[in-house]
Amino acid sequence: MIDAIKLRILQGDPIIHDVRNVSLPKLFRGLPTIERVACPDDCKKCVEACPTNAIKLNPVSIDLGLCVFCPLCEEACPEKIIHFTNDYHIAAESREKLIVTKETKTISAEKASKEIKNYFGRSLKLRQISAGGCNGCELELNALSNVNFDMGRYGIEFVASPRHADGVVITGPLTRNMTKAIEICYEAVPKPKIIVLVGTCSISGGIFQNSKEIQRNFLEENKIDLFIPGCPPHPLTFINGLLDWLDRK
Amino acid sequence: MISLQVQNNQSFRLDEIPFLDKHKFTDSVAEGLTNGYRMIGLFPLHKNMPHKIISALVDSDAASLHLIGGEFQKDKLEFESLANQFPQTNYFECELAENYGFIPINHPWIRPVRKQSTVLGNKPYQFYKLEGPEVHEVAVGPIHAGIIEPGHFRFQCHGELVYHLEINLGYQHRGIESLILDASTNQRVILSESIAGDTVVGHTFAHCSTIESLAGTQISLRAQVIRSIVEELERIAMHLSGLGGVANDIGLAIVASSYGRLRTLAINSLAEISGSRFGRGLFVYGGVRYDFNDENIRQITNKLEVVKNDSAVINNFLFSSTGALTRFEHTGTVSKDFAQQIGLVGVVARSSGIESDTRIHFPYGAYRYFPVSLITLPSGDVFARARLRALEIDESLRFIFEQLENLPGGEIKINVGSIAPCSGVISIVEGWRGEIVHTAITDEVGNIVQYKIKDPSFNNWYGMNLALRETAISDFPVINKSFDLSYAGHDL
Repeated sequence: MIDAIKLRILQGDPIIHDVRNVSLPKLFRGLPTIERVACPDDCKKCVEACPTNAIKLNPVSIDLGLCVFCPLCEEACPEKIIHFTNDYHIAAESREKLIVTKETKTISAEKASKEIKNYFGRSLKLRQISAGGCNGCELELNALSNVNFDMGRYGIEFVASPRHADGVVITGPLTRNMTKAIEICYEAVPKPKIIVLVGTCSISGGIFQNSKEIQRNFLEENKIDLFIPGCPPHPLTFINGLLDWLDRK
Repeated sequence: MISLQVQNNQSFRLDEIPFLDKHKFTDSVAEGLTNGYRMIGLFPLHKNMPHKIISALVDSDAASLHLIGGEFQKDKLEFESLANQFPQTNYFECELAENYGFIPINHPWIRPVRKQSTVLGNKPYQFYKLEGPEVHEVAVGPIHAGIIEPGHFRFQCHGELVYHLEINLGYQHRGIESLILDASTNQRVILSESIAGDTVVGHTFAHCSTIESLAGTQISLRAQVIRSIVEELERIAMHLSGLGGVANDIGLAIVASSYGRLRTLAINSLAEISGSRFGRGLFVYGGVRYDFNDENIRQITNKLEVVKNDSAVINNFLFSSTGALTRFEHTGTVSKDFAQQIGLVGVVARSSGIESDTRIHFPYGAYRYFPVSLITLPSGDVFARARLRALEIDESLRFIFEQLENLPGGEIKINVGSIAPCSGVISIVEGWRGEIVHTAITDEVGNIVQYKIKDPSFNNWYGMNLALRETAISDFPVINKSFDLSYAGHDL
């Protein structure tokens, strides 16, 4: 017993008290910025370097729903106008908002409807479904419950049964072999219910967008409430996305 | 035994491989396995020419790989199964049958590998079923209680006792092996980072090694050391995660949360050097993208000092707790003999007393100059698998501290030449779970026409089936966590 108490003392105070303002390592690749500088004629080096076709030209834009947050475009740009900042606030409620242009300074999720806030504002239980997720997103979602991030303090928790859940969190590009299981699980969640997509794979298919083994009809048939981009998203991106959306301080 | 003998990461010309007829092929493979070699691959040289296959065997005593070619009649893809005599070939034969339509004659148990419900073309697959009074079946998954990857488990039970467990995978199948063939250079690295997101470093290391070997490129010593440091960081992070999981599954919350706290430090160390908590973005063909400097060395050393000091206290608490030991000892045991027969690898094999560690037996990169110690434990139970991971954390920390103090100078990245035509290479890396094998084969113009990936989970899932036999079903979670296998790495 004494030893257990000693372990607890050793634990110290590892919790991140202010999840809104954390300074992540300089190399961390979060929200990209695009400088207001004209590109050289016919230059498409960033587009060619991008492994997931996330970049469009005239004007330059990066779709964070497709971006795998590798540094290839930043390296390829001869004018150095693309730069990944360590800003982890990149979750949004609409797919369009994930498209970063020269005008984009910040991304934050619009507040949810009054109904959603009434139902889930102070208690939100989620059922996670891994549908081809490589275990990167899954590990980061698990990390949300550890002593550093402790998402439970906001009343947001992951639960085992879809019957106990208020919504589903989907990771992975949605493999064909998981199609049936996703439908059954979503059906088992009582209404009203939400869908949160975590990670580039689930938002767009990401690096697997051209695979014959994925089947993404479920996403076309249902309304998506929140998009959390990243490869994998930082746990703080997830927490802040939900807090913004639920209009929590 | 007729074979082509090569070493880890040594590229070879395809015409050097001896191709034998089907009888000589199976005889030669059987001879190698009788000598104590272990199978690491069985697949066609070219995706579109399934009648020419190679079998790759490893000989850990001589640090050599043996390639045996087999040429079959195009309309008669069948051979006498070796699985009855050598159970380790069982699953490789199932995979060959599923992917290319081979028929292993007299195979004891053709199972689906990634196709889930069908075998041998379109034959429906039936789970093994126990019958009799008071026996019952428990079906779990694909979606499990926690935040983990999907897989389906069928237990055949009598009361609490499990007589047979069958694991049905494939839910994570994304078709990575074929995507790599069509991918651009940039896409290939990202794809290999996504084979198993918990083993980003291990798989990307193996992938980059295949390309560099095929191009005849020797990366700088500094880049080799940086690669090994991050590989050990990944090992520390995931071993801490696994120990936390094992503690959690026996309800020891304080230990689970303490290991979780240390894991955060380990993966944040990876973020200091790569920008990603999983090491994404660090590996490039020809070396690494980011370098160590005084600042990030200081950051990482400070974090790892905490890991070192605190993990000693936590380990001591966990491994002297009677409650924990009662749950760990003699639970989910795999004997050394069984482990050898079915070809287990990595942490699971070493916990059953098998001396198997790629870093030592098939040394590559920095491990050739700066070796690590081999650690094994004899008991083969949950205790051994947990304790071994604690010991490996200490050894990895030692390696990292030593290397950070004496980093060799030099460039971190050099240009990679063009890929050799009509060649192949096998790259083996000891990921945190165990042996990762990547094989690449090129055509006349140097395009990759076959890419084969073997995650250690491919070997080890079957070990868990056996570990569960005649064990209480309530011990399943802790046994499962002690194996800590990948679904994505298996399903590809």
